[in-house]
Amino acid sequence: MAPPADKYSVLLPTFNERKNLPIITFLLARTFAAHNLDWELIIIDDASPDGTQAIAAQLLRAYNTPKQPPRIKLQPRAGKLGLGTAYVHGLQFATGNFIIIMDADFSHHPKFLPQMIALQKSSNYDIVTGTRYAGNGGVSGWDLKRKLVSRGANLFADTVLRPGVSDLTGSFRLYKVDVLRQVMKSTESKGYSFQMEMMVRAKAMGFTVAEVPISFVDRVYGDSKLGGEEIAEYLKGVLGLWVKV
Amino acid sequence: MTRAQQTLSIGLLVASVYMVAFLGLAPLPAVIQNELIPVLPIWAIVSFGAYLLFKLGYGVLTFNDVPEARAELMREIQEAREELKKKGVEVD
Repeated sequence: MAPPADKYSVLLPTFNERKNLPIITFLLARTFAAHNLDWELIIIDDASPDGTQAIAAQLLRAYNTPKQPPRIKLQPRAGKLGLGTAYVHGLQFATGNFIIIMDADFSHHPKFLPQMIALQKSSNYDIVTGTRYAGNGGVSGWDLKRKLVSRGANLFADTVLRPGVSDLTGSFRLYKVDVLRQVMKSTESKGYSFQMEMMVRAKAMGFTVAEVPISFVDRVYGDSKLGGEEIAEYLKGVLGLWVKV
Repeated sequence: MTRAQQTLSIGLLVASVYMVAFLGLAPLPAVIQNELIPVLPIWAIVSFGAYLLFKLGYGVLTFNDVPEARAELMREIQEAREELKKKGVEVD
């Protein structure tokens, strides 16, 4: 008897993503269909005031066929409760054996998913992560100052933590579902440091991680601001991980 | 063992070895003992600092810009808009 087929569940936490949501859904659907992959999209909306859920409802009608397992699920929450708990919440409803986490604002393009999936299969990696810093990975929309901050931050984390991963703060990742569950259980950080901690813990737990260079298109709609406060939080996050993991 | 414990342990080991040399507890040729050992720590710190600075500069210089990705994305957004309208989904 053939082993059960692979299914990829995309967890997409959203807050005020009314403009981006339909397009990212379209791109995901198209990519998965083109590569004949079984998939589902779980939208975890934190009570967005801009009507994201109304758009989500339209997408459900457009993409779900009756009598078939739903392609798109909307699992809303009562308020802005944070990224980590959004994943925990979404994971409850995932029926796939692989989980993909990504941002809804086009910085993570679904076209890289087939590469990530193929890489995962090639050596049965536990985690595959997108990297902006290695290979022909790159970014569009960053000025010199932003690049300096980014490289500096990465260098700091690299020197302090020596994680063995080129893009520690990246959040475009493919996980085996059990691996994600295990890693999330031991992750304590909130907010920004959450993604970093997941990767550092995963490596410390001995999970295998591979990287795919990705192109990261930032600031499609409006400004991406990186303030002093965020930088301070990041530095605290890295040092916190230094002593915890 | 946490990363901190690991780093501090290695640091302690290196410091101990250095102290042995610094205090003249190991037989070393005079030139090394008097001229090299005393300045070793400062040399190490400056070299490490220079190395990090170089890595930073190199990283910024070779930062990969991907304008084609942005152009492609803009096209896809247009395409998505049209397709989604047909499916009855509003796109701002």
